Amino acid sequence: MFELQATVLSIIIITILLIVFLVILNGKLKKFDPMDEPKGLVLLAMVATQMVDKNVREKTNDKVAKYLTPYIMTVVMYIFMANISGLLSLEAPTSNYSVTLVLAAITCVLIEVYSAKARGAKGYIKSWFEPFAPFVVLNVFSRISTLLSLSLRLFGNILSGGILMSVIYQMLSAISSKIPVIGQLNIAGILVAPVLHFYFDLFSGAMQAFIFMTLTISFIGKELPEK
Amino acid sequence: MEKALIAFAAALCVAAGCVTGIMEGKVAIQAVESIGKNPDAADKIQSMAIIGAAISETCAIYCLLVAFLIIFIVGA
Repeated sequence: MFELQATVLSIIIITILLIVFLVILNGKLKKFDPMDEPKGLVLLAMVATQMVDKNVREKTNDKVAKYLTPYIMTVVMYIFMANISGLLSLEAPTSNYSVTLVLAAITCVLIEVYSAKARGAKGYIKSWFEPFAPFVVLNVFSRISTLLSLSLRLFGNILSGGILMSVIYQMLSAISSKIPVIGQLNIAGILVAPVLHFYFDLFSGAMQAFIFMTLTISFIGKELPEK
Repeated sequence: MEKALIAFAAALCVAAGCVTGIMEGKVAIQAVESIGKNPDAADKIQSMAIIGAAISETCAIYCLLVAFLIIFIVGA
């Protein structure tokens, strides 16, 4: 029997939300006159794009940035939306290891592609055997560890946040059930949980999205030739 | 008894990761100090600090991975 996992459901919901948001934004941007003063959503989009673009350009060159910035922007938006989906009482998609593994795998493939482009075919094959032939084992493991650490960092942070929040909710409802008459309303939860949601969902989610962005950019920038 | 031992092993793994917390704090301290000494280099220092912290965090991530393996594979 076909059964939908909780994270898969939230992936679908978040994707639909993002698509709707981006279509609305696209419509606004098309109507926007470059001479006007930007405000609202248009201003937000401009500031975010400028921030990401500046970060990418610092580490890489302009040619790479043209293709890398849209990817980074997409990934950051998706990760941020996925991380804060706990606020909509969905299960965060990034607390499913498959999602973070795919995101990290895309980054790893990009690193290899840019490394191959920068070194050429011969230089790329040689880079696996640097500084001399037996080091091929270490080079393979260093590639795998990049994949593992990128994916597990995101996964571990978001999963542990989600588990902590559910444990805290259970504890708070157990405490507030001791209060007579209105105990079933989970009074303690209403008072305490918002602060924790702010930390575990908003702060931690934004932080992890930022860290994923910075690491992706600097890993790719490391493979490019010096300016 | 066996379950308690498995839980204890997983807890030990996480405890080993605690050292990373202290050391990442040290990274932050050094970054703040050097930005205080040399405010112009703040951008470079910030990205260096994040990469340094991220790479040293790998150790804690492996601790988490081993803890998961112990709980879900040995414990299952």
